[in-house]
Amino acid sequence: MRKENNLSHLISHISNLVKMARKLLLEHINVPGINTLDVYRQHGGYRSVEKALKTMSPDAIVEEVKTSGLRGRGGAGFPTGMKWSFLAKPEGKERYLVCNADESEPGTFKDRYLMTYIPHALIEGMIVSSFALGARTSYIYVRGEMMPQIRILEKAIAEAKNAGFLGKNILGTGYDLELYVQPGGGAYICGEETALIESLEGKRGNPRIKPPFPAISGVWACPTVVNNVETIAAVVPIINDGGEEYAKIGIGRSTGTKLISASGNLNKPGVYEIDLGVPVEEFIYSDEYCGGIANGKRLKAVVAGGSSVPILPANLSLKTVNGESRLMSYESLSDGGFQSGSMLGSGGFIAFDEDQCIVRNTWNFARFYHHESCGQCSPCREGTGWMEKVLHRLEYGHGKMSDIDLLVDVARKIEGNTICPLGDAAAWPVASAIRHFRDEFEWHVTNPKEAMDRNYGLAKYADPLPKLEEVSQ
Amino acid sequence: MSEKVKVTIDGITIDVDPGTSILNAARQIGGDIVPPAMCYYSKLEGSGGKCRTCLVKVSKGSEKDPRPMPKLVASCRTGVMDGMEVQNITSPEVIEARKGVVEILLINHPLDCPVCDQAGECHLQDLSYEHGVANTRYEFERRTFERIDIGDKIQLHMTRCILCYRCVYVADQLTDGRQHGILGRGDASEISTYIEKAIDNDFSGNVIDVCPVGALTDRTFRFKNRVWFTKPVDAHRDCPTCKGKVTLWYKGEEVLRVTGRKDQFGEVEDFICNTCRFETKNTSDWVIEGPRQIAHTSVISANHYEMLPLPVIKQNQALIEANKIEFDRASKI
Ligand SMILES: Cc1cc2nc3c(=O)[nH]c(=O)nc-3n(C[C@H](O)[C@H](O)[C@H](O)COP(=O)(O)O)c2cc1C
Ligand code: SF4
Ligand code: SF4
Ligand code: FES
Repeated sequence: MRKENNLSHLISHISNLVKMARKLLLEHINVPGINTLDVYRQHGGYRSVEKALKTMSPDAIVEEVKTSGLRGRGGAGFPTGMKWSFLAKPEGKERYLVCNADESEPGTFKDRYLMTYIPHALIEGMIVSSFALGARTSYIYVRGEMMPQIRILEKAIAEAKNAGFLGKNILGTGYDLELYVQPGGGAYICGEETALIESLEGKRGNPRIKPPFPAISGVWACPTVVNNVETIAAVVPIINDGGEEYAKIGIGRSTGTKLISASGNLNKPGVYEIDLGVPVEEFIYSDEYCGGIANGKRLKAVVAGGSSVPILPANLSLKTVNGESRLMSYESLSDGGFQSGSMLGSGGFIAFDEDQCIVRNTWNFARFYHHESCGQCSPCREGTGWMEKVLHRLEYGHGKMSDIDLLVDVARKIEGNTICPLGDAAAWPVASAIRHFRDEFEWHVTNPKEAMDRNYGLAKYADPLPKLEEVSQ
Repeated sequence: MSEKVKVTIDGITIDVDPGTSILNAARQIGGDIVPPAMCYYSKLEGSGGKCRTCLVKVSKGSEKDPRPMPKLVASCRTGVMDGMEVQNITSPEVIEARKGVVEILLINHPLDCPVCDQAGECHLQDLSYEHGVANTRYEFERRTFERIDIGDKIQLHMTRCILCYRCVYVADQLTDGRQHGILGRGDASEISTYIEKAIDNDFSGNVIDVCPVGALTDRTFRFKNRVWFTKPVDAHRDCPTCKGKVTLWYKGEEVLRVTGRKDQFGEVEDFICNTCRFETKNTSDWVIEGPRQIAHTSVISANHYEMLPLPVIKQNQALIEANKIEFDRASKI
């Protein structure tokens, strides 16, 4: 078990108290009945709709979101205000806001949590955001498997409509908005924004070739913004308290709070709202968050942002190559690029303890991407299957030494050569696992029998930081 | 027409209309610098972007924004900008990536060329000959499907399909009332049987012509002969449904099959109707125009009576003779 030094423990404890007072999305999550409109309103719900529709212009809202520094929470981290200002506004054409609630990335389950417990936070955000974009019809595209959440949202929409927050002439302001829930097509790829749009239009969920981007031609060939559930929910506190207040939280260009779905060998897995900039170490070990690694084991590796981002060994998860503390922020997690860094992604934080097999996990991820490739472009369609088969062979004791380089090569042939980022997402986990855990792959080849019975263990991954030259080889 | 834009591909500069794709600009230049295209088909709206064989490197974005593009781009779906500089065969990165795409296209391909009706006019065959590696690193069982007869005229051999989507666009754009024809996902996708419904349509036979491989073939021609033993002749007739401009493929006096007229990029000049394709196989039905020019890279021209300028054959008298004899023999069988 890790020993905390008392002072840092105290500091983290105090800072946690401060943070607790500053939860923006999940503040009332434990209030009984918060999923109903009445209780939600008693706790300050729908204030932002009143404020935005009655006292602000659409452009002022976009400006406020720009000031907040909010970045997309769906994975790519693109600045939301900027995305909104790119939306084309041709005369005589509808504009649409689509909420991406297709959440299917392995390791990510925050949107479902939010929609299940505080559905009105999403509805409220949708109203304000739609108003800002001038959309009169908006959609929430919910992953098809989430039937309960679809019902919850439909009920919440009906409540909001009854109370005059949706429909014609909202709150007497003359603004009309219809909000629809669309059950998804049941594929991970339908979370990619252009595939989502195709699917929403009733077609097969194949990603479109960009350009044109959705901001110019999206749903029904009209200008469209696609945003993640959490992104849209975050607009509510930004309008209530102002973009400047929001921007005070966090660090650098990672402003505000972020929902992290923590899973794996942690004492307290679950969804946490953190201030961006919390050290990874604190997130894993402090009692406020995950409470350390379960069963007194040691940390072996971390996938910090959902299955698509590069995996990092323990030492590089907690510190960057320069020896700086690794923080839960867009910049710090990607510090070191692909050689020694990762990404915040969608915030799907998966911790692996010393008993976990990296080869098996890599195969598991590869199997997922193989299964989920839409099959449109050749490198992803064929390459994902190839990687999966080679990894399967390695994991089950039939691998060859040359398989390891073959995997690296196939991953390189996919990466960057595909229509949508799913190809990259399939290649990165494989490439990074081999980069950081090559000896474990080799051990599977040299000790196939043993590899079937036991795991490789921790090896050197809890060692002090590697030298810069070693990592960048 | 608005101002032309200047684009340089592998050091050769050309002025093209704005909105032209890099691939089409390269086709206007012609020659070796034209990227291979397995899925793009200029006559099918929305096609392209999928096979990734046409990847090129944009080393200069445009005069206004000279930054290079961060990734290789699909030349068939990327528009030219004024002052753009593109590298195709002059970029080792592109050659390497294309080799990778070819390898990947072949891992699940049956490589049954000896019994495939497309052999000799297969784009995948040409592509792998030009860019492929001799042996495969793929050691797993290849994906296979049952053959399906789509009506009595067309056969679908899904195992050979490279999922270029061209036939889907044909079915979508030339025949009425259907959406799309791919079922399943990833490497388990297959051309769907909905296509069977499209078969009644007058233009469904065109899926055969657009298919770059031997996945969709003409059942009325199957195994009748190898294409390189047949001689292509352009002909036309007064057809109420289509323009009636076709290529007839002869063996001796017999018309073995009828196809659209394919240009040097393997694309038909005009789509033809099923009556012309499947049911009009007598010379007397047609007005003969003359021998069809076949791109000389194709093996079809190897036995062409017109002696297309294949360098070796052209210089070697013995080969020229041998070729004539072979052709005579083949056309007598
Ligand atoms: C394969 C793939 C799957 C994706 N799945 C999701 C998803 O489930 N939810 C989501 O919000 N974004 C997903 N994205 C990202 C979206 O394409 C898009 O960037 C995002 O919805 C934009 O919203 P944001 O700017 O609010 O992050 C996915 C992207 C890819 C390439
Ligand atoms: S990269 Fe994969 S998922 Fe994305 S379009 Fe290509 S085949 Fe489909
Ligand atoms: S059957 Fe032929 S045309 Fe259709 S997708 Fe397959 S390869 Fe392309
Ligand atoms: S021809 Fe351009 S991607 Fe297939």
